[in-house]
Amino acid sequence: MASFEPSQFKLTKQVNRPEILLGLVLAPESGRVFCVGSDGQVTSFNLAAEKPEPTILATHESYATGVAWTGEFVVSGGYDRKLIWTRLADGKQVRSFEAHQRWIRQVVASPDRKTIASVGDDMVCRLWNAGDGKLLRELRGHEPVTPHHFPSMLYACCFSSDGKLLATADRVGCVMVWEVASGKRLKTLDASGLYTWDPNQRRHSIGGVRSVAFTPDGSRLLAGGSGKIGNIDHLDAPARIEIFDWQQGERTHEIAADAKFKGLVEKIVFSPRDGWFVAAGGGNGGFFLFGDAASGKLLYQDAAPTHVHAAAISASGDEIFAAGHNRVAVWRLGSKAAPAAPKTA
Amino acid sequence: MTTPASDERHERHETRLGRRGFLAGTAATAAALAADMTGLNVLKEQALAAELKRQEKRVILFWLAGGASQFETFDPKPGRPTGGPFRAIPTAVPGIHISELMPKMAQRIGHTAIVRSLNTRIADHGGGAELMQLGRRDEPSIRFPDLGAVVARELGRIDSEVPDYVSFYSSTEGRGSATRQAGFLGSRYAPMFLTAGTSPEYLQPLKTMSAVDHRERADLQAALGRQFARGRELPAVSSHSQAYARVRGLMASERLFDIEQESQAMRDRYGPTLFGQQTLTARRLIDAGVPFVKVGRAWWDSHGENFETHLELVSELDHVMSTLIDDLKSRGLLEQTLIVTLSEFGRTPQINQSLGRDHFASAWSATLTGCGVQGGSVYGKTDENGQTVVDGQIGAAPLFATIYQALGIDYEKEYQVGARPIPLTDPGTEPIDTILA
Repeated sequence: MASFEPSQFKLTKQVNRPEILLGLVLAPESGRVFCVGSDGQVTSFNLAAEKPEPTILATHESYATGVAWTGEFVVSGGYDRKLIWTRLADGKQVRSFEAHQRWIRQVVASPDRKTIASVGDDMVCRLWNAGDGKLLRELRGHEPVTPHHFPSMLYACCFSSDGKLLATADRVGCVMVWEVASGKRLKTLDASGLYTWDPNQRRHSIGGVRSVAFTPDGSRLLAGGSGKIGNIDHLDAPARIEIFDWQQGERTHEIAADAKFKGLVEKIVFSPRDGWFVAAGGGNGGFFLFGDAASGKLLYQDAAPTHVHAAAISASGDEIFAAGHNRVAVWRLGSKAAPAAPKTA
Repeated sequence: MTTPASDERHERHETRLGRRGFLAGTAATAAALAADMTGLNVLKEQALAAELKRQEKRVILFWLAGGASQFETFDPKPGRPTGGPFRAIPTAVPGIHISELMPKMAQRIGHTAIVRSLNTRIADHGGGAELMQLGRRDEPSIRFPDLGAVVARELGRIDSEVPDYVSFYSSTEGRGSATRQAGFLGSRYAPMFLTAGTSPEYLQPLKTMSAVDHRERADLQAALGRQFARGRELPAVSSHSQAYARVRGLMASERLFDIEQESQAMRDRYGPTLFGQQTLTARRLIDAGVPFVKVGRAWWDSHGENFETHLELVSELDHVMSTLIDDLKSRGLLEQTLIVTLSEFGRTPQINQSLGRDHFASAWSATLTGCGVQGGSVYGKTDENGQTVVDGQIGAAPLFATIYQALGIDYEKEYQVGARPIPLTDPGTEPIDTILA
């Protein structure tokens, strides 16, 4: 089985778009991605095709920000507070309803594709039956107001690879780990290093935890965003990842990108076979950071041609799909070089 | 335990006491007249000016420093590529929609006139701030007074011991662009500039001196001053006496800056943020006779994360501004108080890679609320993407003429500065009549 080397990757295809793409999910083995964006549309692209053409599946009334794939449906969420179930077999919207009282920030499917999780600025994570759309559970605990009296935001959520755990993360850096079966909160973690409150110069805040991911064995949790920002007019600090031994409640590593890779880590995904993770994001430009969660080291850093808001990695681990400001694109990873054969005389 | 109703009665009683205390005439009137750098003009128009001052009109300027976005406030473009993610919501006035970030103001828009057609051309902070606080740019040979100084000059009572012009600016960013100049009107009309909290520093009498000692020293100074001034009718002597009188007045006005004098219920209404607290202080000040208070709220310069920034700052503005409107209305002060929201410019229709908006002076908005304004009105129009003004384009000067007209100040009046007559607004400037009551 081949292994793929982070430093050996190159852009192989990109599709320019007029909108800002904010969410992406990959239908495994198909090369098809479903994107959502600032035009409110849920769009399908077959990136395996020579010239990928967009197919519009559904439209939200404001920015669409989250999208999940269940095999049968694509479930999308947006700032119109709605979740929309679109059946892939016939393209019909089988249900659409207001799922949160404020903006929906992210929508993800459990690994077995039976449960959908959505998070919104009403500071609630809701779990839904992926098939019939029924509400299964509400996870509450994130504060609706920041310590400085402004509305907070619940940005991110993720399942563990076995589907038993769920993590949620908010504006001020509060990360919670939940037991999916019971809805019990297992741990609360402090990732406030990803949130900047400016008490003197500008008197507002920026940042927050924009991405979370469990390591494949579920023992560690990664939280992504930006480091402390001096001038909060801009996303003007290196991207940052904090790694937690969540059961101990301890931060084990803090990873800062090189100074030239500024902005927010918007998505963290693990290679299905090689153990490393890729963190994608951006500010005024984009970046990919490849790292090792066990050692807390960055393996490779590179620029992306746009601020990346969402990314996925193929099941075989050889391709990265990313969506961002005005484009969706594919990168292919190169194989690790085989050991050189001994020279013979 | 007091009830809210008894709290309110208590506050009104306090207010009346405050007014009587601070608007009482003083012996410093003649000194103040002599110290005015446009004194000849004062004497010529004294009767008209006195009538204007009797009307006790006031201004609270919300200076949204850094540049608030018109899209996320008063000129939303939902569904357009430039519009951003926020919805437009209907207001209490049919046909007028504003950003969903302002639900409280939507219910009170009947008191507010929206100007959606500012094209002020200057998109740098320094230049824009100067333009939008003076109504024009300084000339090499002359420095113009800012809006607060003009209002202090025209509406302040010459014999008042309260400050004429108070300016709050607590954030450090943009403070250098927070124009605070009396220009040719002279330092008499410069603001009391507060950079921390809600109260001026160094206003309290020395703890080592009793109130009796303090008063006796002041009486002695006044007696010696009168004796010295006898037969010496010089501006410098008058100004010196006036300075002492005003310092005593300012020290006595310490209580006006103390929001602890308000009930907890009232403080809760304005909210816990510094902007809310300063706005409550501003209401106390104008209630006591201060004609102009600027509350600088910085910093709105959202080159990155425009929508998150505006979610924070517009939510705060919506709450504080609507609370102020309700409070002034319940006190019978809204009809004589003009609330202005103004920035140095607006923000770009284009959304950059950081999901920010940049500086934009070609098509943006301001609002006037209360005194002299046709509430529930909109002037001007931008195109469907908010990129250009398509109807009613104006610059800073007509907006300032409108503000002056709403306050009853003759926007065509001239000040005589040395040998040169200086008009309050450039010749040919007209106010926006359709938004005036």
